[in-house]
Amino acid sequence: MSTVQLVNIKKVYPISGSDAKESKKSKKAKKGEEAPQRKSNLQITEEGVVAVQEFSLDIADKEFIVLVGPSGCGKSTTLRMVAGLEEISGGELYIDGNLVNHVAPKDRDIAMVFQNYALYPHMTVYKNLAFSLSLRHLPKAEIDRKVREAAEILDITEYLHRKPKALSGGQRQRVAIGRAIVRAPKVMLMDEPLSNLDAKLRNEMRAEIIKLRKRIDTTFIYVTHDQTEAMTLGDRIVVMKDGFIQQIGTPQEVFNHPANLFVAGFIGMPVMNFFDAQLIAEGDKYFVELGGIRTELSPEKEERLKAKNVKSQPVTLGIRPEHVDLTDSGVAAKVDVSEMMGSSVHLHLTSEGRSMIMIVPTVNMKDIPSMGETIRFRFNGSVAHVFSKETEKNLEF
Amino acid sequence: MKKGMSDNTRGLIKLTILRVIVYAVLIFLCILCLFFFYLMIVNASRSNAQLATGFSLVPQENFFKNLVNAWNDSSINIPRGMLNSLIIALSTAVLTTYFSALTAYGVHAYDFKGKKFVFTFIIAIMMIPSQVSALGFIQLMNKFHLNNSYIPLIVPGIAAPVVFFYMKQYMESVLPLDVIDAARVDGSGEFRTFNTIVLPMCKPAIAVQMIFSFVSSWNNYFIPALLLDKAEMKTVPIMIAQLRSADYSKFDMGKVYMFILLAILPVLITYIFLSKSIIKGVTAGSVKG
Repeated sequence: MSTVQLVNIKKVYPISGSDAKESKKSKKAKKGEEAPQRKSNLQITEEGVVAVQEFSLDIADKEFIVLVGPSGCGKSTTLRMVAGLEEISGGELYIDGNLVNHVAPKDRDIAMVFQNYALYPHMTVYKNLAFSLSLRHLPKAEIDRKVREAAEILDITEYLHRKPKALSGGQRQRVAIGRAIVRAPKVMLMDEPLSNLDAKLRNEMRAEIIKLRKRIDTTFIYVTHDQTEAMTLGDRIVVMKDGFIQQIGTPQEVFNHPANLFVAGFIGMPVMNFFDAQLIAEGDKYFVELGGIRTELSPEKEERLKAKNVKSQPVTLGIRPEHVDLTDSGVAAKVDVSEMMGSSVHLHLTSEGRSMIMIVPTVNMKDIPSMGETIRFRFNGSVAHVFSKETEKNLEF
Repeated sequence: MKKGMSDNTRGLIKLTILRVIVYAVLIFLCILCLFFFYLMIVNASRSNAQLATGFSLVPQENFFKNLVNAWNDSSINIPRGMLNSLIIALSTAVLTTYFSALTAYGVHAYDFKGKKFVFTFIIAIMMIPSQVSALGFIQLMNKFHLNNSYIPLIVPGIAAPVVFFYMKQYMESVLPLDVIDAARVDGSGEFRTFNTIVLPMCKPAIAVQMIFSFVSSWNNYFIPALLLDKAEMKTVPIMIAQLRSADYSKFDMGKVYMFILLAILPVLITYIFLSKSIIKGVTAGSVKG
């Protein structure tokens, strides 16, 4: 059993001297306005810069959770709070039901893999792997057995007597992972472990991590800014922005039912197309009108909108590039660029004053539209997402 | 085509001339550095009378005579002086480097209120020459009855802002904080992390600072001269000064040169053994590793 519970976790960094002065100055200038201000998207309050707030999450035993979001969203800070490397400013953190807010990292029975490997450069690979075990005063024979076992899993046995500087990036990352798994920790934390690798190696290592997860079978918390990693690795994904959780769900849920405009834009490659459209409610039916073309939403979507008593209103309409169909009649769009990707063509278009991308399988195309040509497209009501103009939230939620 | 070839020849000539100039300057600088060592060795081989005649580049036959004379001089005890200097210099070098590295690590790795102030304050101390505080220091040591003791020559040296500054800068270039975090997660305590991870990673810088501290402590004359007056406590620089200030009947410049030669031997030996680390340490951080 190794569950992790984060209850209303908060992290505030006190403002440094110069920042505090600046903050006071601007407060004087804006006398009478509300206290919290925004600087580089993170909230600044009297206490300081709020890096993470209202973070609540229950992680089940052996679950693989991925924290994903852009740089500075607080995902690494959250992970470091779980590791005990950052003090928790507010809230409660439980590992296996025990409150660990003030427990030192070494007593939390966790292991962590860092983005830049963080290997001990003066020690051989063997000693790097054995370091944590020797600190626990395990017998030498047992240390040797465990180190060789971990090395075997990660295929680094032949490098055991080398120093990290004599290894490639991929090999170093394997050693870093080896150092983490050798202890069979309750919770495995990974902070963007693949970011320093080139694209090919990253794909390979991603597959390795999936295999590794099956072999070591423990709870994982994985931080990344790469949504592909998040989608392929996670049992559940936590999308974060500006210190707040935006959505928690399985990769499929997050992809198919984004909670807001940010999640819709962040998850999926190429990014979702957004249009200014009109939502029309007529009895039990809901339509979106774009470029004079009405499309009825799917019955499930209509049901959810009806339950929320959503009225007719201007909305931001989101449609993924792969859900747009090329047709003879429909919304007009001008071709800006076409990219031949082999099995499909990515058409970069301008429609209704917005840029958009359409992915068309090459088997469905007679001719590739040329630059400046006008084409027409349609979309299915089951894949259209409607977001409030005011709150940017998905109106179905 | 022809023009290209002549350009090439001209380039080669230019390069050769440039190299000749560079080597000439380097050879001149080498001679400038080593000449005084050579002169000291020559002078150590000359008698007092020969030295009085003036400057010479040719070694004479009195080398061993000077060595015996210096070693047997009744006013000084060379082995004792060297032992005193060795104890003080070695302890200072080890303690200064260890504690300065520890302080530098504290400022580098931990976030605490007033961190910037602490750093600036320590750096500001670098500006104060030791002569300024010497009088007060001597008085304090007299009050503690610590004159003629190793303690005032070793302990205050531990607080060395220059060493701290060097170590801090070095750590910034070679010691990522993630490595420290990794050690913490692995189960290492703070001191163990410092001793088993941080110190080995800073080995070149530590070697450099140990040598520098050793040499400056070995050559230190000012404070020991004010604190040490017992014969058995005197260090090498005090003894050299004592030989130089001997009265006319006993004065022997050959002995003085011989003692100076003996005095630089430990320093030379340390340099020879640790020269690799010194070069590594001095150039550390200048290029991406």
